[in-house]
Amino acid sequence: MIVENLHYAYPPLTPGGEPLPVLKGVNLRVRRGEFLALMGPTGAGKTTLCLTLNGILPHLMGGTFEGRVVVAGMDTRDHGPGEMSHKVGLVFQDPESQLFNMTVEDEVAFGLESLGLSPSEMEERVAWALEVVRLPGLRKRSPFQLSGGQKKRLAIATVLAMRPQVLVLDEPVTGLDPLGRHEVLAVIEKLKREEEATVVMVEQDAEAVMAWADRVVIMERGRLVLEGSPRQVFSQVESLHGWGLAVPQMSELAHLFNRRQGTSFHFITEDEACSALAGELQSETCTGPRRSKQYPIPNILYPVSFEHSSAVKVEDLWHRYDDGPLALAGVNLSVEAGDFLAIIGQNGSGKTTLVKHFNGLLRPTRGRVLVLGQDTAGQSVGQLARKVGYLFQNPDHQIFAPTVWEELAFGPRNLGFSEGEVAARTTEALALFGLRDQADTPPAILGYGLRRHVTLAAVWAMRPHILVLDEPTVGLDWRATRTLMEEVTNLNSQGHTIILVTHDMKLVAEFARKVLVLDEGRTLAYGPTRQLFQQEALLRQAFLAPPPITALARRMRLVLSPSTLLRINSAEGPYGLRGDSLTVEEFYQEYTALRRLGQGG
Amino acid sequence: MSFAFDLYVDRSSWLHRLDPRTKLAFVVLSSILLLNYSHLSVSAAFLLGIHGILWSGKVPASRVRWAWQRMWPITFLILFLWPIFYPQGNEVLLQVWRVRITTQSLLQGLSTALRVDALAFAFLVLLFSTDQARLVRGLVKLGLPYEWGLTLAIALRYLPTLYGIYTTVSEAQQARGWVIGKGGFIQRIKSYLPIMVAVIVTALRLADNLSMALAARGFQSGAKRTYLRELKLGLADKVCLPLFAVSLIVSVIVRFRHSLGVP
Repeated sequence: MIVENLHYAYPPLTPGGEPLPVLKGVNLRVRRGEFLALMGPTGAGKTTLCLTLNGILPHLMGGTFEGRVVVAGMDTRDHGPGEMSHKVGLVFQDPESQLFNMTVEDEVAFGLESLGLSPSEMEERVAWALEVVRLPGLRKRSPFQLSGGQKKRLAIATVLAMRPQVLVLDEPVTGLDPLGRHEVLAVIEKLKREEEATVVMVEQDAEAVMAWADRVVIMERGRLVLEGSPRQVFSQVESLHGWGLAVPQMSELAHLFNRRQGTSFHFITEDEACSALAGELQSETCTGPRRSKQYPIPNILYPVSFEHSSAVKVEDLWHRYDDGPLALAGVNLSVEAGDFLAIIGQNGSGKTTLVKHFNGLLRPTRGRVLVLGQDTAGQSVGQLARKVGYLFQNPDHQIFAPTVWEELAFGPRNLGFSEGEVAARTTEALALFGLRDQADTPPAILGYGLRRHVTLAAVWAMRPHILVLDEPTVGLDWRATRTLMEEVTNLNSQGHTIILVTHDMKLVAEFARKVLVLDEGRTLAYGPTRQLFQQEALLRQAFLAPPPITALARRMRLVLSPSTLLRINSAEGPYGLRGDSLTVEEFYQEYTALRRLGQGG
Repeated sequence: MSFAFDLYVDRSSWLHRLDPRTKLAFVVLSSILLLNYSHLSVSAAFLLGIHGILWSGKVPASRVRWAWQRMWPITFLILFLWPIFYPQGNEVLLQVWRVRITTQSLLQGLSTALRVDALAFAFLVLLFSTDQARLVRGLVKLGLPYEWGLTLAIALRYLPTLYGIYTTVSEAQQARGWVIGKGGFIQRIKSYLPIMVAVIVTALRLADNLSMALAARGFQSGAKRTYLRELKLGLADKVCLPLFAVSLIVSVIVRFRHSLGVP
């Protein structure tokens, strides 16, 4: 596949308007069998590039197209998406809009029917594609009823069945729960290993890219700015952060050591990091068996307490949807005022069901919920909105107003404040969230990150004591995520109670003070983040895992030889490596302190 | 929730295996019969027969009960209003002020109500036992252009999705203190604006993505296509279809030559 000096601009939004240039001279060559990852901040043009690869751009939308895209000898200028679909299989980011058939089987067959294949050939290919993505047995199911991970896998099967020479995946694991991610990534690995497929994958998650890609290309503002092996690319930590991109935690760690200690580490995997760092401590290497049994971690879990200062108190909460399964089965929880709680668990474990009880969108089937000491029964959603702000996952589900100002004023106005008060709150919210310049702009045309900010500001303008954030960082790039979380931390330090529902364990580790793990509507664990992330077996039960840096810290403690530990312990330190670091910085501090002790003794 | 959008119940029975075209023919035949014969006994027998078909076709009783619950209000309304507005005959059962209820009009009301129920159930036999994909394929096979069939299928497929978006959006606005409209008609309509704007924008985005997804799967309007599952008439169809034809002819002769089946 060859992309040569590609320029593309979308047609203007309004007649007589300016065209919107997105791609500004992209050059790319992908070899057969290569696995290429494409990373870049939101708005860099990644999706646009994907759309040019099978000719959807410019054939479907017009616009200005310069340069050329040639896949397997076919130039997209001469061949439309109909013909290109034999060569390039494109899997879109949103699974909902690309699964338009009524059964799984029809979904996979659709492309083959377009190709005009015979029924027997189709039958064979449908069976094969469903086998590859591990969805046989669901042929008669409606795609609508599948889980997020299953939908993404089905979307992959639909283009896979057409046997394209290049598979283009636009953010295949974004928005999935950890189990769904795992399922999809396993399929991608299988494609790479067994089918030797040529894959171009757009992905934000650096850990996934590092694990799978042969080559990484960084795209920024319509240009390719960096390319190389994952090791080469991820060693450029400062540049990547400058572009607003995440790097794997291990690269971040190596970078921290190199910058502050003048070392020249270049590890990118947990194994490499462990060997390199253990070697520094003159210990054995990391290749030996893990001695997890020798150092058992005590099972410390918080008892469920019922303090008076609780912001939210949940007592034996059960919830059953109409005609549906039991979503919550006896959850107890007490969130202290001013706390920062993360709720984690797979989709369908009851996270959203639980938090929707806090502002009255759902009512208990049994049990009760107290918000700031008052039972929510008898309080309307509108009344609870003064106390509990709820940020929905998709900003587009609440944005409607003609200007950002109006959008922020909507909540306070609903609560019945005077126009003067509404104006004061709106102005303050604009200032606090840095939206002053956008006050008169329609929120719908802002970028995704800004739309997210508008919705947070709109919720904040109602001044609720408690803020519920339901997967707020999905679809945000690294920089936007940082900005959002900094704002949330700010609000938390002003005394707001934060309840964060998320699948991102790095965020949980870094920001949350307590964690609630839900599993099939029950509390699996509830306790301080630090203790909880040590319970690997427990987390595994809910198909969760601590972030890489915590795993590394734990492993380091386990692999250090008893003599090393003894030497360290005989020095002043009260203990050896604690092995429960939650962030890269924390690990670094602990490790360097340890090394100082080791060298001193 | 999905109940309201898709009546289909997946079972394995002769009724489910029947070709959708045969079931469509059944609906047409039933409609003609029921429109021609207005006698109470015909509608009643027909209803009874349909319940027999549903039972032997393994349609669960809960679905049938659900259907009756939906049918009750209209059945009751006809039963109640017919005698009041169409007084016929002389056997007065009850007279309140100037409203007379006669036996004849009561029977007429009952037969009309049952006829409407029977018609509805004829359609339900089709909808309960035919998944939407097969139904659309049946229509395409009968001559509906493929693009229309695809459009219909997509519309049916996305109803639950749109409903889901509507629910989420309205929850998101409720969480910001929005309350379902009070006051006059215009006021109420206006109060739905925050929801409708967000729903429409989301739906447009969905439609946009959908057209790209269709293109990415090689769909070209007017191009020749093959089908994974060709509809084929089975033995049951080959028995049913001639039977339908014969009943249609016989019924028409009986109805118009001999004027039977009308009160």
